[in-house]
Amino acid sequence: MAENTRGGASAESDDVALLAAVARVWELVDPPPDGLADGTIARIAAEDLEFDLLVLVSTDGALAGVRHAAPEQRDDPGAWMLEYEGSDVRIYVRLNRIEDRTRLDGWVVPVRALTVQLSTEGRDETIESAVDEFGRFEFASASPGLSRLTFLDESDGTARPRATPPFWI
Amino acid sequence: MSEIPIETPSLWEVSASLFERWRAGEAGALDDLVRLLSPMLWQVVRASGLDRTTAEDVVQTTWLTLVRSGESITEPRAVAGWLTTSARREAWRVSRQSGRQQPVEDEAIARRLPDEPAPEGQVVLDDDNARLWACLGRLSERCQRLLRIVAAEARPDYTAIATELDMPVGSIGPTRGRCLDKLRRELAHEGGF
Repeated sequence: MAENTRGGASAESDDVALLAAVARVWELVDPPPDGLADGTIARIAAEDLEFDLLVLVSTDGALAGVRHAAPEQRDDPGAWMLEYEGSDVRIYVRLNRIEDRTRLDGWVVPVRALTVQLSTEGRDETIESAVDEFGRFEFASASPGLSRLTFLDESDGTARPRATPPFWI
Repeated sequence: MSEIPIETPSLWEVSASLFERWRAGEAGALDDLVRLLSPMLWQVVRASGLDRTTAEDVVQTTWLTLVRSGESITEPRAVAGWLTTSARREAWRVSRQSGRQQPVEDEAIARRLPDEPAPEGQVVLDDDNARLWACLGRLSERCQRLLRIVAAEARPDYTAIATELDMPVGSIGPTRGRCLDKLRRELAHEGGF
């Protein structure tokens, strides 16, 4: 294989053969992790969802930074908070349970006009609210069950809705 | 580990066909494409010097980029090349974020690759591969790493695509050629490959 004068097609095919052998030996000594393809497929599946999935970044105790936004009854028994993060938005959700009724309200930062839908598993109807000029939204009475908030930007027809992962009320 | 078929001249055809089927709405075709080409992308990214965890993330990010911008690929046969180029760029971008300089030439790539212990102790190689591995180990570090990069990127059906595009195979530059020649001489000392 070690030719002094190399050139033309045979030299090229020598190079190809040798490079293929080098590639093969690297594949043997440094193979990809077993889950590489499956992990990729799972990530693509998540990406393909029809909405942008918000990520739960904190619950209750870690919300000192927005405590000014939370009214005085924050420490009441039966009240808890969830904080979600999207690519360009942060959403705080507060739940207050008073006897058999749960009030849900929250804030969108930065403020933007969004339609908010609250859906609960096992119930057909979705109740709707809107983010006001201060970034607040509210559902006076939320049904118990596994629920999800979806935020729609109706001023931008191309924007995908943002949705929280399901949470319990 | 699912290996890329070594002597299959139709890898680019297969990936092009899978890509077309995915774009036509067949979701499973993308899964097959991911399984087919991820091992190659792994080698491309690892050759850029990233650790295994980061390399895995870069490969996944590369695929997400394809999903988001697949419409911009007009020639399905270009999809494998598009992926390797994207993977390499993403690997560079991640490297830069970690404070290293962007390499602009192959020599620069080779220089900046981190030291990694040769992992030959962890696998059993047959005689040919053991000989090749030993000969690679006698090259300069720069050549070793350069050849790994070139080999990883050259991997898919190198001859066929070069012939089709009427290009010299891989436009193997002088440095790569010199490294290949050195490797060839080492192999000749060892009785060939």
